[in-house]
Amino acid sequence: MEILTGNELISGATVYLDPQGNWVEDLQQARTFESGDKAERDEAVAKTKATMRILSIEIEKVVLKDGQLYPERLRERIRATGSTTPVFDRQHLTEDGHVSI
Amino acid sequence: MYRYDEFDAAFVKARADQFREQVGRRISGEMNEDQFRPLRLMNGLYLQLHAYMLRVAVPYGTLGGKQMRKLAHIARTYDRGYGHFTTRTNIQYNWPKLVDIPAIIDHLAEVEMHAIQTSGNCIRNITVDQFAGAAADEIIDPRPIAEILRQWSSLHPEFSFLPRKFKIAVTGAPNDRAAIKFHDIGLKAVTNGAGEIGWEVWVGGGLGRTPMIGKLINSYVPNTDLLAYLESILRVYNRYGRRDNKYKARIKILVHEEGLETIKGQVEAEFAQVRGGVLTLPEEELDRISAYFAPPTFASYPATVIDIAREKILDPAYGRFLENNLNAHQQPGYVSVTISLKPIGKPPGDISADQMDLVADLAERFSFNELRATHEQNLVLPHVAIADLRALYDGLVAAGLEAGNVGEITDIICCPGMDFCALATARSIPIAEELSRKFSSPQRQKEIGDLKIKISGCINACGHHHVGHIGILGVEKKGGELYQITVGGDATENASVGKILGPGFEAEEVPDAIERLVDAYIARRETPDEPFIAAFRRLGEAPFKEALYGNA
Repeated sequence: MEILTGNELISGATVYLDPQGNWVEDLQQARTFESGDKAERDEAVAKTKATMRILSIEIEKVVLKDGQLYPERLRERIRATGSTTPVFDRQHLTEDGHVSI
Repeated sequence: MYRYDEFDAAFVKARADQFREQVGRRISGEMNEDQFRPLRLMNGLYLQLHAYMLRVAVPYGTLGGKQMRKLAHIARTYDRGYGHFTTRTNIQYNWPKLVDIPAIIDHLAEVEMHAIQTSGNCIRNITVDQFAGAAADEIIDPRPIAEILRQWSSLHPEFSFLPRKFKIAVTGAPNDRAAIKFHDIGLKAVTNGAGEIGWEVWVGGGLGRTPMIGKLINSYVPNTDLLAYLESILRVYNRYGRRDNKYKARIKILVHEEGLETIKGQVEAEFAQVRGGVLTLPEEELDRISAYFAPPTFASYPATVIDIAREKILDPAYGRFLENNLNAHQQPGYVSVTISLKPIGKPPGDISADQMDLVADLAERFSFNELRATHEQNLVLPHVAIADLRALYDGLVAAGLEAGNVGEITDIICCPGMDFCALATARSIPIAEELSRKFSSPQRQKEIGDLKIKISGCINACGHHHVGHIGILGVEKKGGELYQITVGGDATENASVGKILGPGFEAEEVPDAIERLVDAYIARRETPDEPFIAAFRRLGEAPFKEALYGNA
């Protein structure tokens, strides 16, 4: 299972594409793509690139763990939660940080 | 300290204005990320895991109270109230927003600072001995030459798109505190037969995935020819350095593959063309720049001996600070003081905005308004009267900056690692913090003595793990973190690259593994004064390998 993630242009905040086509902060709201959804996934990537507002777009593998989306890579788990030490809350979107496709 | 002239000020302002306009075009959508990325990188703006990161240059690690206060203001206003000093003597902000970057750059320009050439395939911020202009063992203050090199290398049209980044370090003392043999070019002040001071030139050193010790390409280059000689090296590198593979693009690979004699021949041929031309450095210009770095007006004190033993009885923490954090000064009655940014259990190199303000105050009160950032991620007050040490220490205590652990096992170099860095393959800060806690006892640190631990969160080696007496490299393995331990590295004039002694360790195993290495050293050293690195060189790797992995 895959999700799309990136960083929003103005704030640099970590964001995820949700099922409605909005780029949101919460990993648990991310749209998931199964192996048969490659065309939809690639279309979403292309539409996102066209906005020019999401950087460093990545396709990340996730699994369901206790009903929650759980990135396979530690790097992605840190991106989703913030730095582990020193502990800092994640960067948040600013008022002008809303991006949809 | 160097002060911008009209040209410098206009140049930095023009660049700030240009970048403001570029950021505006990016936000408005006139420019896409592919177009903007190289522009932002030329201005030190990276995108990391959680946010942008702005890397601000601290030229040759020198700054004053005014600059430090401005860095504090930026941290407080545009970031999260702190900054991180790096192994390039720069400072990084981990949480700025793109929209705020032009204002930050303007603030920096107000105090003669910028973020130009802190990224990209160009000549990066030049680093020097942190005790430059103060150290008792110094032949010459390296900062005037470093400033001239800064001016020569800033937006040098021929060297703005090199095969890869290029780093220069300079020391004016025989004891190398600037790790010159692990830079693309390292310069060391030397005296010729006529008693004139010039420069030993080392080339092709570096860390990263292929660590190499620099090679001596010229044992004496006079000041007048130094720019022409360095330009010749850069031209040879620019022409022949590999652009087909970024992992083989540094000059160290060129020197290694072609051989020193071949490169030397090419450099000499180029030098023969360039020498005596526009790059000749007139003595008057060197004198003019040197005047900016003239020693302050010291008070006249007799040579003063600090009774550390007595102070340790009266106040052990202060005595320890005196024992570890001072460096001998050229001027009788003065010392250089290192402010440790390695409090127990905290991220190495981090400093809060409030602490920055207080350090600025202390620099103004006690060190002729001079400060240095070190490649070991500490700060230095270069000119402190011995008579002021207690008052200075009390000021540091008030800021939580009194740690007396400089040069000890908890004075750890550590990159930001995977908590922040987009390139990292493992976290490094948690390992540093855990080791710091494990060895927190002052008595234990004193027992261990001089032992440098350096930690990197990926093979790029920003944490200089290859040259740690004990180095730790975090790598990704099967989705988790694994840490390789190296032993025997040394960044000084006795340069050596650490050796991997066996398989890596899980994060939670690392502190005990390091303790076993330390215990093996203590058990086998000839005297309590034999440092770890000397014992390793005498004993070889076998006892340390056994300590890590047993004798199976």
